[in-house]
Amino acid sequence: MAGDGFVPPSSADFFFHPIFGTNILGTKPVLLVGLSVVLISVFFIASSRKAAIVPSRLQFAGEGVYSFVRHSLGEEVIGPEFLKFIPFLFTLFTFVLCNNIFGVIPLLQFPTMSHIGFPIALAIFTYFVYHTVGIRRHGLVKYIKDICFMPGVPKYIYVILTPVEFATYFIIRPATLSLRLFANMFAGHLLLLVFTMGGKYLLTSTILMKILSIFSFGFAVGLSFFELGIECLQAYIFTLLTALYIAGALADEH
Amino acid sequence: MVKQDDNAFWTILAYLISGLAFWGGVGALADHFFKLHILVFVGLVVGLTAGLSLIWLRFIRE
Repeated sequence: MAGDGFVPPSSADFFFHPIFGTNILGTKPVLLVGLSVVLISVFFIASSRKAAIVPSRLQFAGEGVYSFVRHSLGEEVIGPEFLKFIPFLFTLFTFVLCNNIFGVIPLLQFPTMSHIGFPIALAIFTYFVYHTVGIRRHGLVKYIKDICFMPGVPKYIYVILTPVEFATYFIIRPATLSLRLFANMFAGHLLLLVFTMGGKYLLTSTILMKILSIFSFGFAVGLSFFELGIECLQAYIFTLLTALYIAGALADEH
Repeated sequence: MVKQDDNAFWTILAYLISGLAFWGGVGALADHFFKLHILVFVGLVVGLTAGLSLIWLRFIRE
Protein backbone atom coordinates (compact mmCIF):
# COMPACT_ATOMS: atom_id res chain seq x y z
CA MET A 1 0.00 0.00 0.00
CA ALA A 2 1.98 2.94 -1.16
CA GLY A 3 0.75 6.46 -0.80
CA ASP A 4 -2.18 7.11 1.46
CA GLY A 5 -2.36 4.40 4.11
CA PHE A 6 -5.13 3.70 6.50
CA VAL A 7 -5.70 6.54 8.93
CA PRO A 8 -6.97 5.01 12.17
CA PRO A 9 -9.64 6.91 14.07
CA SER A 10 -8.35 9.05 16.89
CA SER A 11 -9.59 11.50 19.46
CA ALA A 12 -9.60 14.10 16.69
CA ASP A 13 -12.72 12.37 15.37
CA PHE A 14 -14.55 13.53 18.47
CA PHE A 15 -14.22 17.21 17.69
CA PHE A 16 -16.60 18.78 15.27
CA HIS A 17 -16.71 22.04 13.44
CA PRO A 18 -19.85 24.02 14.19
CA ILE A 19 -22.66 22.97 11.90
CA PHE A 20 -23.82 26.56 11.58
CA GLY A 21 -22.12 29.75 12.64
CA THR A 22 -18.74 29.80 14.32
CA ASN A 23 -20.03 29.53 17.86
CA ILE A 24 -19.12 26.46 19.90
CA LEU A 25 -22.83 26.15 20.71
CA GLY A 26 -23.44 25.15 17.11
CA THR A 27 -21.46 21.89 17.31
CA LYS A 28 -22.97 18.46 17.04
CA PRO A 29 -22.72 17.38 20.72
CA VAL A 30 -24.42 20.56 21.94
CA LEU A 31 -27.18 20.20 19.38
CA LEU A 32 -27.60 16.56 20.40
CA VAL A 33 -28.02 17.60 24.03
CA GLY A 34 -30.72 20.05 22.95
CA LEU A 35 -32.37 17.35 20.88
CA SER A 36 -32.30 14.93 23.81
CA VAL A 37 -34.09 17.45 26.04
CA VAL A 38 -36.77 17.94 23.39
CA LEU A 39 -37.16 14.20 22.80
CA ILE A 40 -37.37 13.33 26.49
CA SER A 41 -39.88 16.11 27.16
CA VAL A 42 -42.07 15.20 24.22
CA PHE A 43 -42.00 11.51 25.07
CA PHE A 44 -42.95 11.89 28.71
CA ILE A 45 -45.49 14.64 28.15
CA ALA A 46 -47.13 12.60 25.41
CA SER A 47 -47.10 9.44 27.51
CA SER A 48 -48.64 11.10 30.55
CA ARG A 49 -51.04 13.52 28.89
CA LYS A 50 -53.89 11.12 28.38
CA ALA A 51 -53.24 9.05 31.45
CA ALA A 52 -55.91 6.41 31.83
CA ILE A 53 -56.51 3.49 34.13
CA VAL A 54 -56.08 1.15 31.20
CA PRO A 55 -52.83 2.53 29.81
CA SER A 56 -52.10 2.98 26.15
CA ARG A 57 -48.83 1.56 24.85
CA LEU A 58 -47.13 4.94 25.09
CA GLN A 59 -48.30 5.47 28.63
CA PHE A 60 -47.19 1.97 29.52
CA ALA A 61 -43.70 2.65 28.18
CA GLY A 62 -43.39 5.99 29.98
CA GLU A 63 -44.63 4.56 33.25
CA GLY A 64 -42.31 1.59 32.84
CA VAL A 65 -39.26 3.86 32.77
CA TYR A 66 -40.56 5.91 35.67
CA SER A 67 -41.37 2.96 37.88
CA PHE A 68 -38.00 1.38 37.09
CA VAL A 69 -36.19 4.48 38.37
CA ARG A 70 -38.57 4.89 41.24
CA HIS A 71 -38.41 1.34 42.55
CA SER A 72 -35.08 -0.16 41.67
CA LEU A 73 -33.02 3.03 41.88
CA GLY A 74 -34.98 5.12 44.39
CA GLU A 75 -36.86 3.03 46.88
CA GLU A 76 -34.50 0.09 47.12
CA VAL A 77 -31.34 2.15 47.43
CA ILE A 78 -32.27 5.31 49.31
CA GLY A 79 -34.96 3.86 51.57
CA PRO A 80 -38.01 5.58 53.10
CA GLU A 81 -37.00 9.12 52.10
CA PHE A 82 -36.57 8.31 48.43
CA LEU A 83 -39.48 10.31 47.10
CA LYS A 84 -37.87 13.76 47.05
CA PHE A 85 -34.88 12.49 45.09
CA ILE A 86 -36.90 10.81 42.36
CA PRO A 87 -37.14 13.90 40.09
CA PHE A 88 -33.36 14.27 40.14
CA LEU A 89 -32.64 10.59 39.61
CA PHE A 90 -35.27 10.29 36.92
CA THR A 91 -33.98 13.31 35.00
CA LEU A 92 -30.42 12.09 35.32
CA PHE A 93 -31.25 8.59 34.13
CA THR A 94 -33.34 9.60 31.13
CA PHE A 95 -30.90 12.34 30.13
CA VAL A 96 -27.84 10.08 30.24
CA LEU A 97 -29.71 7.20 28.62
CA CYS A 98 -30.99 9.31 25.74
CA ASN A 99 -27.62 10.94 25.10
CA ASN A 100 -25.84 7.58 25.24
CA ILE A 101 -28.25 5.91 22.86
CA PHE A 102 -27.56 8.65 20.32
CA GLY A 103 -24.32 6.72 19.80
CA VAL A 104 -26.06 3.95 17.88
CA ILE A 105 -28.93 5.86 16.25
CA PRO A 106 -28.22 6.06 12.50
CA LEU A 107 -27.38 9.60 11.29
CA LEU A 108 -26.90 10.96 14.81
CA GLN A 109 -24.31 8.32 15.76
CA PHE A 110 -22.49 10.18 18.43
CA PRO A 111 -22.75 9.55 22.17
CA THR A 112 -22.74 13.02 23.70
CA MET A 113 -21.17 11.69 26.88
CA SER A 114 -17.97 10.81 25.01
CA HIS A 115 -17.06 14.48 25.43
CA ILE A 116 -15.77 14.65 28.98
CA GLY A 117 -17.34 18.03 29.69
CA PHE A 118 -20.86 16.61 29.78
CA PRO A 119 -20.22 13.82 32.32
CA ILE A 120 -18.24 16.26 34.46
CA ALA A 121 -21.19 18.66 34.53
CA LEU A 122 -23.51 15.84 35.60
CA ALA A 123 -21.05 14.62 38.23
CA ILE A 124 -20.88 18.16 39.65
CA PHE A 125 -24.66 18.08 40.08
CA THR A 126 -24.42 14.75 41.88
CA TYR A 127 -21.55 16.04 44.00
CA PHE A 128 -23.50 19.05 45.20
CA VAL A 129 -26.65 17.07 45.80
CA TYR A 130 -25.15 14.37 47.98
CA HIS A 131 -22.96 16.70 50.00
CA THR A 132 -25.83 19.13 50.51
CA VAL A 133 -28.07 16.30 51.63
CA GLY A 134 -25.43 15.09 54.07
CA ILE A 135 -24.67 18.53 55.48
CA ARG A 136 -28.37 19.30 55.93
CA ARG A 137 -28.95 16.04 57.68
CA HIS A 138 -25.98 15.97 60.03
CA GLY A 139 -24.67 19.55 60.11
CA LEU A 140 -21.39 20.49 58.48
CA VAL A 141 -19.04 19.54 61.33
CA LYS A 142 -20.60 16.18 62.10
CA TYR A 143 -20.85 15.30 58.41
CA ILE A 144 -17.16 15.95 57.78
CA LYS A 145 -16.26 14.21 61.02
CA ASP A 146 -18.29 11.14 60.10
CA ILE A 147 -16.56 10.97 56.76
CA CYS A 148 -13.03 11.53 57.96
CA PHE A 149 -12.89 9.59 61.20
CA MET A 150 -13.74 5.92 61.08
CA PRO A 151 -14.78 4.93 64.61
CA GLY A 152 -12.81 2.44 66.65
CA VAL A 153 -9.33 3.20 65.38
CA PRO A 154 -6.30 4.26 67.46
CA LYS A 155 -5.75 8.02 67.22
CA TYR A 156 -2.35 7.96 65.50
CA ILE A 157 -3.76 5.83 62.67
CA TYR A 158 -6.03 8.73 61.71
CA VAL A 159 -2.99 10.55 60.34
CA ILE A 160 -2.83 7.96 57.57
CA LEU A 161 -6.51 7.13 57.12
CA THR A 162 -8.17 10.55 57.28
CA PRO A 163 -6.61 12.03 54.13
CA VAL A 164 -7.56 8.90 52.21
CA GLU A 165 -11.18 9.05 53.39
CA PHE A 166 -11.35 12.74 52.61
CA ALA A 167 -9.92 12.24 49.13
CA THR A 168 -12.34 9.38 48.50
CA TYR A 169 -15.44 11.40 49.29
CA PHE A 170 -14.44 14.77 47.89
CA ILE A 171 -12.20 14.02 44.90
CA ILE A 172 -12.18 10.39 43.79
CA ARG A 173 -15.92 9.80 43.85
CA PRO A 174 -16.98 12.59 41.47
CA ALA A 175 -13.89 12.02 39.31
CA THR A 176 -14.54 8.30 38.87
CA LEU A 177 -18.24 8.94 38.36
CA SER A 178 -17.62 11.17 35.35
CA LEU A 179 -14.58 9.30 34.04
CA ARG A 180 -16.39 5.97 34.01
CA LEU A 181 -19.20 7.29 31.86
CA PHE A 182 -16.87 9.25 29.61
CA ALA A 183 -14.41 6.40 29.09
CA ASN A 184 -17.09 3.85 28.30
CA MET A 185 -18.74 6.06 25.73
CA PHE A 186 -15.44 7.22 24.24
CA ALA A 187 -14.03 3.72 23.90
CA GLY A 188 -17.27 2.34 22.52
CA HIS A 189 -17.56 5.01 19.88
CA LEU A 190 -13.91 4.60 18.94
CA LEU A 191 -14.42 0.87 18.52
CA LEU A 192 -17.32 1.41 16.15
CA LEU A 193 -15.25 3.97 14.23
CA VAL A 194 -12.41 1.47 13.82
CA PHE A 195 -14.65 -1.09 12.19
CA THR A 196 -16.64 1.25 9.98
CA MET A 197 -13.62 3.26 8.83
CA GLY A 198 -11.63 0.06 8.38
CA GLY A 199 -14.39 -1.41 6.24
CA LYS A 200 -14.59 1.77 4.22
CA TYR A 201 -10.86 1.67 3.63
CA LEU A 202 -10.96 -1.97 2.55
CA LEU A 203 -13.54 -1.01 -0.08
CA THR A 204 -10.93 1.15 -1.82
CA SER A 205 -8.56 -1.82 -2.10
CA THR A 206 -8.37 -5.05 -4.15
CA ILE A 207 -11.38 -7.25 -4.88
CA LEU A 208 -10.47 -9.74 -2.13
CA MET A 209 -10.28 -6.93 0.38
CA LYS A 210 -13.65 -5.65 -0.80
CA ILE A 211 -15.16 -9.02 0.02
CA LEU A 212 -13.44 -9.06 3.40
CA SER A 213 -14.85 -5.64 4.21
CA ILE A 214 -18.21 -7.35 4.72
CA PHE A 215 -16.81 -8.79 7.93
CA SER A 216 -15.65 -5.42 9.09
CA PHE A 217 -19.06 -3.86 8.51
CA GLY A 218 -20.70 -6.90 10.05
CA PHE A 219 -18.61 -6.45 13.16
CA ALA A 220 -19.58 -2.78 13.28
CA VAL A 221 -23.27 -3.71 13.20
CA GLY A 222 -22.83 -6.43 15.82
CA LEU A 223 -20.84 -4.14 18.07
CA SER A 224 -23.53 -1.48 17.72
CA PHE A 225 -25.93 -3.80 19.51
CA PHE A 226 -23.26 -4.54 22.09
CA GLU A 227 -22.79 -0.78 22.50
CA LEU A 228 -26.51 -0.33 23.01
CA GLY A 229 -26.23 -2.65 26.00
CA ILE A 230 -23.23 -0.79 27.39
CA GLU A 231 -24.98 2.55 26.93
CA CYS A 232 -28.04 1.45 28.89
CA LEU A 233 -25.84 -0.11 31.55
CA GLN A 234 -23.76 3.04 31.97
CA ALA A 235 -26.85 5.21 32.34
CA TYR A 236 -28.06 2.79 34.99
CA ILE A 237 -24.73 2.72 36.83
CA PHE A 238 -24.41 6.51 36.81
CA THR A 239 -27.85 6.87 38.37
CA LEU A 240 -27.33 3.96 40.74
CA LEU A 241 -24.11 5.45 42.09
CA THR A 242 -25.79 8.83 42.53
CA ALA A 243 -28.52 7.11 44.52
CA LEU A 244 -25.94 5.18 46.55
CA TYR A 245 -24.03 8.37 47.38
CA ILE A 246 -27.23 10.10 48.47
CA ALA A 247 -28.12 7.07 50.56
CA GLY A 248 -24.66 7.15 52.12
CA ALA A 249 -24.99 10.84 52.96
CA LEU A 250 -28.39 10.24 54.55
CA ALA A 251 -27.21 7.28 56.61
CA ASP A 252 -26.52 7.87 60.28
CA GLU A 253 -22.95 6.70 60.14
CA HIS A 254 -20.64 5.67 57.39
CA MET B 1 -28.65 -7.75 48.29
CA VAL B 2 -27.39 -6.74 44.87
CA LYS B 3 -27.35 -3.00 45.58
CA GLN B 4 -25.17 -3.51 48.64
CA ASP B 5 -22.67 -5.51 46.61
CA ASP B 6 -22.55 -2.74 44.03
CA ASN B 7 -21.97 -0.19 46.73
CA ALA B 8 -19.20 -2.31 48.24
CA PHE B 9 -17.53 -2.79 44.87
CA TRP B 10 -17.35 0.90 44.00
CA THR B 11 -16.41 1.93 47.52
CA ILE B 12 -13.56 -0.58 47.59
CA LEU B 13 -12.32 0.67 44.24
CA ALA B 14 -12.54 4.29 45.38
CA TYR B 15 -10.63 3.56 48.59
CA LEU B 16 -7.85 1.77 46.75
CA ILE B 17 -7.50 4.55 44.18
CA SER B 18 -7.55 7.37 46.67
CA GLY B 19 -5.16 5.61 49.05
CA LEU B 20 -2.64 5.08 46.28
CA ALA B 21 -3.22 8.51 44.75
CA PHE B 22 -2.95 10.48 47.96
CA TRP B 23 0.01 8.81 49.68
CA GLY B 24 1.73 8.06 46.38
CA GLY B 25 1.37 11.73 45.56
CA VAL B 26 2.77 12.75 48.93
CA GLY B 27 5.68 10.36 48.35
CA ALA B 28 6.33 11.77 44.89
CA LEU B 29 6.30 15.33 46.21
CA ALA B 30 8.67 14.37 49.00
CA ASP B 31 10.97 12.71 46.44
CA HIS B 32 10.93 15.87 44.40
CA PHE B 33 11.68 17.96 47.46
CA PHE B 34 14.48 15.80 48.87
CA LYS B 35 15.87 14.76 45.45
CA LEU B 36 15.26 11.07 46.15
CA HIS B 37 13.61 8.22 44.23
CA ILE B 38 12.44 5.92 46.98
CA LEU B 39 9.76 7.85 48.86
CA VAL B 40 7.16 7.45 46.13
CA PHE B 41 7.25 3.68 46.65
CA VAL B 42 7.04 4.10 50.40
CA GLY B 43 4.05 6.37 49.80
CA LEU B 44 2.36 3.85 47.51
CA VAL B 45 2.80 1.09 50.10
CA VAL B 46 1.42 3.34 52.84
CA GLY B 47 -1.48 4.31 50.57
CA LEU B 48 -2.28 0.71 49.69
CA THR B 49 -2.16 -0.22 53.37
CA ALA B 50 -4.44 2.69 54.23
CA GLY B 51 -6.90 1.76 51.48
CA LEU B 52 -6.95 -1.89 52.46
CA SER B 53 -7.35 -1.12 56.15
CA LEU B 54 -10.27 1.22 55.39
CA ILE B 55 -11.88 -1.58 53.40
CA TRP B 56 -11.28 -3.95 56.29
CA LEU B 57 -12.69 -1.49 58.82
CA ARG B 58 -15.72 -0.72 56.72
CA PHE B 59 -16.73 -4.10 55.41
CA ILE B 60 -15.09 -6.95 57.27
CA ARG B 61 -14.92 -5.85 60.87
CA GLU B 62 -18.72 -5.73 61.28
